[in-house]
Amino acid sequence: MRDTRRTRAVLGTLLVLALVLITIDYRGGDRSPLRGLRGVGSAIFGPIERVSASVVRPIGNAFDAITDAPGERRRADRLARENQRLREQIRSGMLDRDRSAQLNGLLRSAGLGGYKIVPAQVISAGQGLEDTVTIDVGRGSGVRAEMTVMTADGLVGRVTRVGPATATVLLATDAASTVGARLEDSKEIGVVEGVGRRGLGRRGSPMRFRLLSAAAPMRVGQRIVTLGSQGARPYVPGVPIGAVERIEENPGSLTRTAHLRPFVHFSALDVVGVVVAPPRSDPRDAVLPPRPKPAPTPTPTPTPGVTATPGATATASPSGQPRRSARPREED
Amino acid sequence: MVISTDSSPASRKLTAAMVIAVALILQVSVANRLPLPGAVIPDLVLLTVVALALINGPLLGLVTGFCAGLAADIIPPADHTIGRYALVYCVIGYLCGQASDEMDRSAVVPFVAVAAGALAGTLLYAGVGMMIGDPRSALVILLRVVPVQVLYDVLASPFVIWAVLRVTGRVGRDRTSSGGLSTSAVRYRAMSRERV
Repeated sequence: MRDTRRTRAVLGTLLVLALVLITIDYRGGDRSPLRGLRGVGSAIFGPIERVSASVVRPIGNAFDAITDAPGERRRADRLARENQRLREQIRSGMLDRDRSAQLNGLLRSAGLGGYKIVPAQVISAGQGLEDTVTIDVGRGSGVRAEMTVMTADGLVGRVTRVGPATATVLLATDAASTVGARLEDSKEIGVVEGVGRRGLGRRGSPMRFRLLSAAAPMRVGQRIVTLGSQGARPYVPGVPIGAVERIEENPGSLTRTAHLRPFVHFSALDVVGVVVAPPRSDPRDAVLPPRPKPAPTPTPTPTPGVTATPGATATASPSGQPRRSARPREED
Repeated sequence: MVISTDSSPASRKLTAAMVIAVALILQVSVANRLPLPGAVIPDLVLLTVVALALINGPLLGLVTGFCAGLAADIIPPADHTIGRYALVYCVIGYLCGQASDEMDRSAVVPFVAVAAGALAGTLLYAGVGMMIGDPRSALVILLRVVPVQVLYDVLASPFVIWAVLRVTGRVGRDRTSSGGLSTSAVRYRAMSRERV
């Protein structure tokens, strides 16, 4: 009985205390004096709760894992597959971007020259001693034999044989290839011959340019474009070929020979364009990339040929004139 | 002569044709586009012909060589006179087929045969080119290309021969009558496995 009475007393006290606390806290609102109490509570219990949670969560997870194991395995598989797919998408996206950049460049070059092109991709390459590739367009795309093949950078070669859906291209570096060519900003013509890319001790240049006139000026760094064949077959005019890298001095010969550095990276051909319709007018030097700035300065030596044949260069076409005035020294 | 008539010759021819077709496709669309130093590519088709000839003997070797060469002459990027590879591979197939009897005498025979076959094949192809006046077979170019070509062929030969033996091995193992050749094939296969 006593116990009951004491118990009731304590109960009543605590109930009252609770009511008081409620009243104080409720009436106090935000400025309640009991807020400190809550601060103490969170300071003490917060870390404990965290520790206990960190102990309990793995256990709970383990239970979950056991009960959910098949579902989790499926989920992991799904995520792995999704991951793989996304990775492939990224990779193919990069490839596509690369290809799209190449196509854009090709279209820009074709637009500059007024060529009508069919874009194509290189699908295989020849073996042994020959420098040939197969491209994935053929008769169905309007490609015929003896058409010019180019990239955004310059001349690749010409179509030699056409199948229904493929065509064979003879690269300009092949030893059997000969291209009529012209020095930029002068009308001096010559022949670009392939030397072959394969083998030991290549000193960099897979092409040779034979200038037909032995007295005509030629200097290192000068660029060369196609001259254009009769009827624009096989070569359309104005496609950049390469820059003069080294000039062979052999005084007795009728022609002067220069080694070329081609603009096209022949060992990594990917997107190319077949010129299916020639330009209406010769684009001259319009397709050549803008001349690199530091290039003219290391070769300021005015070759005696420049002054010796003023007549040949004075009759340069109007499109060639502004480039001539960019020379360091003008003999007018 | 090691060619045993009891093992179905039809299946051997079929296998050989398939091996050649695969080698051609790989050569043209994969190997030739590899940016190897010197821009010279090992001739997988020649090595395949040598391997098949060493397994099958001279008759099948020369027939295989001719067919493989003709295919190599007409496969799209090819731009030389048709028949050059057919001639060369036919001769090489015959010569290496002659060496097939020696396959079980010594373990180095396959290596020597492949190296000799690669050298002879490259020289013969170049020689035919010079005879018909191909500008690509000019002496300057050949001096540059042929040493690298032979070196690459020899380097690539264990892999190619191992692959060919692997594919044709099933046919070879079934033949119990000509035990010498199949044991040699097995031995060579084990040897090339060690190298790889």
